[in-house]
Amino acid sequence: MEKMIIEKNGIRGFFMQLGNKWAIIFLLLEFTIFSFAIPGFFSFNGIQVLLINSPFILLLGLAETFVIISGGIDLSVGFIMGFASVVSAKLIAVFVELGINDLFSIIIGIIATLIIGTIPGLVNGILIGRLKVPAFIATFSMLGITHGISELLIEGSYAKNVPPLAGAIGNGSLINIVPGKTVSFFISPAVQRGEQLIEILPNMFVIPFIIIVVFAFILKRTKFGKHTYAIGGNVDAAIKAGINVKNHITKIYMLSSLFSTIAGILYMLRFVTGKADAGLVFLLDAIVAVVIGGASLYGGIGTVWKTLTGCFIILVLEMGLRMFGVPTFYKLIVVGIILIFAVLIDQFFPELIHKED
Amino acid sequence: MNTNKYSTISLNRNPSKFLSIFAKNWAAFFLLILIVVFSFTGQRFFHLANFQNIVHLSTIYLLLSSAETFVIITGGIDLSVGFVMGLSSVLSATIMQRLYAANYSPVWSILIGCIITLIVCIIPGFISGVLITKYKVPPFIATLGVGGIANGITLLMCGGFPVAFLPPYLTEIGNGYLIYVLPGKAFSFFNRPEGIFGEEVKDLIRIIPNSFIFIFIILIILWHVLRNTRFGKHNYAIGGNMDASVRAGININKHLMTVYVLAAFLSGVAGVFNVFQTGIGNYTPFSAMYELLAIAGVIIGGASLMGGKGGIIGSVIGVILISVIENGLHLSGVDPFYRFIAVGLVLIIAVVIDQSFPDLL
Repeated sequence: MEKMIIEKNGIRGFFMQLGNKWAIIFLLLEFTIFSFAIPGFFSFNGIQVLLINSPFILLLGLAETFVIISGGIDLSVGFIMGFASVVSAKLIAVFVELGINDLFSIIIGIIATLIIGTIPGLVNGILIGRLKVPAFIATFSMLGITHGISELLIEGSYAKNVPPLAGAIGNGSLINIVPGKTVSFFISPAVQRGEQLIEILPNMFVIPFIIIVVFAFILKRTKFGKHTYAIGGNVDAAIKAGINVKNHITKIYMLSSLFSTIAGILYMLRFVTGKADAGLVFLLDAIVAVVIGGASLYGGIGTVWKTLTGCFIILVLEMGLRMFGVPTFYKLIVVGIILIFAVLIDQFFPELIHKED
Repeated sequence: MNTNKYSTISLNRNPSKFLSIFAKNWAAFFLLILIVVFSFTGQRFFHLANFQNIVHLSTIYLLLSSAETFVIITGGIDLSVGFVMGLSSVLSATIMQRLYAANYSPVWSILIGCIITLIVCIIPGFISGVLITKYKVPPFIATLGVGGIANGITLLMCGGFPVAFLPPYLTEIGNGYLIYVLPGKAFSFFNRPEGIFGEEVKDLIRIIPNSFIFIFIILIILWHVLRNTRFGKHNYAIGGNMDASVRAGININKHLMTVYVLAAFLSGVAGVFNVFQTGIGNYTPFSAMYELLAIAGVIIGGASLMGGKGGIIGSVIGVILISVIENGLHLSGVDPFYRFIAVGLVLIIAVVIDQSFPDLL
């Protein structure tokens, strides 16, 4: 494809560069301001907390990135996440009750959930790809259906009897150091009173980050990724080019469902329970993050890394406001303004959109 | 030229006339079937009181859905209706509360509260309209952003709690009925007949809720506007074919602006009505998903997200269908969570039918 040439010199060129990179500049600016304004924000623990809170929005954002690039939208990610948290918690509790040891029940439960979790995506994909149901409607129906099923599974309360080992994994870190004593990976060691435990890189960030790196590569370098952009850019052209659009769309929605399922499993591991509305608040945040990152709802534009920037803009904002002691309601207003601002920038500099990638 | 081949194909693809009528009005048929089924399974489903209840409780959704109908027919979408409604509810309640606390008479505080709120609620619609028409922001994003901002302002205004201590008469108006009859004894309009206590209250027959009159008038007006006026015709034209309507000389920007302002205004009316029904100002929680249910009602009623299709009557049937499913399942003793699944399934059916008979609808 022919690349558009962008002016790099002169005032307009400068603004173009600024406009193109505004999200990352905004993130850095936001981070710097909060670091100076709030004591303890720019500290080891502060960043640790930021990372611990990140997995759900990151994974749902990744799911939405694929879907939005292909020109669709997935409203069901939030409740598929809740569904997965409920199913995994229930399954693990059942396995433990059957007398299987904790670790194995967690592993089997997670694998089974990963398989079950792609079913809503498969249905979405068939409805959208083959039956030509608009993505908005199909995924909204799936939202209702997964919500209903998970509420029925836990009878309106929350899933119980998950072994504490799950929590140890979910709240552990990649590297745990007890100075002068031990170093362990993934699960924090038992700590005596008075000993200090240094945790580096929470599992909650490491797991989604690995997935993000893998799928950023897939989106950017493989045929699968190229086809995703092609379908989002121009469906008719993609069909003429011999891409099996129906299958591809089905795969994309299954992928989106899979990421939401992983988010749900992480939720279960972290909070040692399953809740039907676990992902409710992350749904819109995820879509907003993708759009702030510069993707277009008309499809064909966007990257995983830009979505990551969008996610962290929201996360840093949320945490900063919380540490400021400001009501989190301000977050809604600020995010709304950033969202509109993001789209306006794209409108003012239309040349930017087609660049890169 | 041999057109025979094509004509046979179209003949084969054309279903029978009955099927076509059914496909066109499947929501209405489905509604009737549901009412019959629930009449057998649901205790006290087939009662005047229950039917009035269904309409009464779906007033808000009817208003939001008719707002969405206008927007969706133009090919847009409005995700802010639920949050604008919350804004309106909290704002009007706050104004009424303050004025009443400052010793204004209840009537004046209610009136002033309603009027100011309805004017203020136009603002979000105006902003969405400017973003969509002037800056070409996709409606999905523009209304999502405006909705988020409206929700944030609402929550700041009420601090995350419902607004209480409102002037009296609100719920009496909002939950009142036009006619009260105590067979053989008393009869009155608008207010309960005096001197009725204890057991007699149970026998009191209430006919036509005030909310029904109110919503009926609004829906008739909107139906007329959409069907018989130039504004309505332009609405369909823009949704059907934007380029053609530009060439036909329709001022699209002005029209879309009006449509989004109208949607915000109707959401504002819904919010004010919410105050009348509940007696407090309610913010919109995230889990409410008013806008999505309103859109579901419109789509079940036969509209297309691509624009150019749909109508007020269809949307009303769609909303009532959802309400009847919820109410009927509840009265049949089914776990309330099945209703999420049921609404999802009906929505899928709606769109699949829509896709299967494209030439008919």
